[in-house]
Amino acid sequence: MRILYLMFNRLIWFFPTVFGLLLLVFTISHIIPADPVAFLAGDNATNEQIADLRAQYGFDRPLYIQFINYVMGTFQGDLGISLYTQRPISDDLLGRLPATLELTFVSVLISAILGVPLGVIAAVYRNSVADHILRLITVSGLAIASFWLAILFQLFFAMELQWTPLQGRIDGWGPDHITGFFLLDSLLVGDWESFGSAFSHLVLPVATLAFPAMATIMRFTRAGVLDAINSNYVLYEQAMGFPERIIIWKYILRNALIGTVTQIGLIFGLLLAGTVVVEAVFDWPGLGLYAVQSIMNSDYNAIMGFTLITGTMFILINLLVDVLQGVMDPRSEL
Amino acid sequence: MIETIKFLIKKLAQDRTAAIGVFLILSLILVAIFAPILATHPADITEFHPPERLLGPSAEHYFGTDRMGSDIYSRLLYGARITIAIALIAISVSVIIGVPIGLLAGYYRNWVSDALMRVSDIFLAVPQIILAIAIAQTLGPSIQNVILALSATYWPFWTRLVYAETRSALNEPYVEASIALGASPSRVMILHVLPNISSSIIVRTTIGMGGTILTAAALGFLGLGPPPPSPEWGRTIAESREFLPEAWWYAAAPGIAIFLVVMGFNLLGDGLRDILDPRTRRSKGG
Repeated sequence: MRILYLMFNRLIWFFPTVFGLLLLVFTISHIIPADPVAFLAGDNATNEQIADLRAQYGFDRPLYIQFINYVMGTFQGDLGISLYTQRPISDDLLGRLPATLELTFVSVLISAILGVPLGVIAAVYRNSVADHILRLITVSGLAIASFWLAILFQLFFAMELQWTPLQGRIDGWGPDHITGFFLLDSLLVGDWESFGSAFSHLVLPVATLAFPAMATIMRFTRAGVLDAINSNYVLYEQAMGFPERIIIWKYILRNALIGTVTQIGLIFGLLLAGTVVVEAVFDWPGLGLYAVQSIMNSDYNAIMGFTLITGTMFILINLLVDVLQGVMDPRSEL
Repeated sequence: MIETIKFLIKKLAQDRTAAIGVFLILSLILVAIFAPILATHPADITEFHPPERLLGPSAEHYFGTDRMGSDIYSRLLYGARITIAIALIAISVSVIIGVPIGLLAGYYRNWVSDALMRVSDIFLAVPQIILAIAIAQTLGPSIQNVILALSATYWPFWTRLVYAETRSALNEPYVEASIALGASPSRVMILHVLPNISSSIIVRTTIGMGGTILTAAALGFLGLGPPPPSPEWGRTIAESREFLPEAWWYAAAPGIAIFLVVMGFNLLGDGLRDILDPRTRRSKGG
C-alpha cells in the first residue's frame, strides 16, 4: 500500500512537469529564434511564398493556439518532420534510442560495480595511501572534459595500441533486430561474432562515460559509509563483538547505499546528457549523435524533439529514484 | 568583513588541496590578464601562416602550431580570457537571478513561492547541457549566446539551494526574534537570512564555476561556442581531431588547460566547504 501511495504521490507531479517542459521547449523554439519560416523558404523566397508557408505551418495563428496544437501533436507522438532527414522526428528518435540506452545502461552498471566497493574501501581505510589515490581519481574524474577524455582514449587504445575499434557501434550489420540492444540481441540468437564486435566497440565510450560517474558514486559511497561508521548502531554492533567484515559489508553498506541509489539515478540522467558529446566523438549512432547532426544542419525541430525526449526520460528516472528510495528507506517522507 | 577574509586566507593556506586550487585559479587569472605580454605570437589569434602548419612543440612554438600555422601556446593564453569571461558572467547572472528568487520563495509561504519553485524544478528537469544546446542552437554561435544559454540553465541551482537554506534559517531563534521585533521582510531577508546562508552560496558558486567551464567547453566543442578563428579551448580540441594521432599536441594543450582550471575550482570548493561548514569535515564528508 505504501508503495502504491508513493507512486501515486509522485505521479501527480509527472504531468505538470512534462507540461512545463513542453512550454519551455515551445518558448525556446517559438519566441527566441530567428524566423523559422524565412529559413525554410530560403533566401530567394518572395513575401507571398513566405506568407503561404507561414499559413501552412500554422505560424500565422496566435501563439497560444500554436502551443495547444504543439501539445496535442506531441501527445499523439508527432514531433514534426526533420528538415534534414525528411522523416518524422519521432521515428528518427525511437530508432536511435536503443543505441543510447545500451551505452548508458552499461556505463551506469560499470560505474556502480567499480564505484561502490572502491568508495567503501576509501572510507574504511580513510587517510591511507589507497584513500589518497582514490581521492586523486575522483578529483580527476570530475574535472576532465568528457570529449577530451574520449579523444585521449581513442589516441592511446585505438590509434596507438589498436586494441579497440576507433568508433562506430559494430562491424557489419549487427545482429537481427529484436530489442535493438546489440549485446542482448546477439546473445539471444547466439551470434558470438556480433557480440564480440559490439562489446569491443562499447569499451571506449563506456570508459569515457563511466569514469566521472564512478568518481561521483565513489565520493557518495565514501561519505555515506563514513557517516554510518560513526553512528550509534555500529558502535553497538562492535560492542556486541560482530566481525568487522559483517558490520561493514552488511550493515554499514545497506545504510550507505540508500544515498548512493539516489545518486545513481541522478547519474543515469547525467550520462544521458553526457552521451551527446561522447556519441559525437565515437560516431555512436544514438540520440546524442542525432542531436549533434541536427545542430550541424540547423534542424531545430529535431533538436527540440531531442530535448523533449531526453527531458521526459530524465523526469521519469527521477520519479523512479524517488519511489525506489522510498522503498529502500522507510524513514524517508515523500 | 576584513576579519572574515583574513580568516579565510589563513585557513585556505593551511589546507593543502585548497591551496593548490587557489594557485590554479590565480594562474588562470594572471594568464588571462597578461596574455598579450606572455604570448610569443600574439598576432596569431587572427593571423595565419599556412607554411608553418602542424609543427610540433619547439623553442619557437612551445605547444606547436595548429592547422592554420598559428601558435597554439599564444592562442591558449587568449582562450583563457574567453573561458573566464564566459564562466564569470554566466555564473554572476545565475546568482543574481537565482538567489533573490530563492530568498523570496523561501521567505513567503504562498502560491507565488510554490509557482517559483515549480518553474525552477522544470528547468532542473532537463540536463543542463541539453537545455544549453537547445538555447545556444536557436540563438546561433557566439560568446554572448553561450553566456545567455548557460545563465538560463544554471540559475535554478541557486534558487533550490537558497530556498532550502532560507526555510531552515527561518526556524532559527535569531530570525524569529527579528521578525517578532517588527523587522520588515526585506530587512529580515537581506540582513539576517542572507549573511547566514552566504557560505553555502559561496561553496556552490565555486564548484559551479568548474561545471560551467566544462559545459561551455562542450558547447564550443560542438560548434556552438564563439565562431572561428576564436581561440576558445573546446573549439580548438574539435579542430584538432582531423589531425590525430600525428598532431597530438594540438589536442593535448587545451585539454590539459581545461582540466587544470576545473580542478582548481573543484579543489577550492571542497576546501571552502570544509572551512565554512564545520559539519562536514574532510575526514567525514570527503
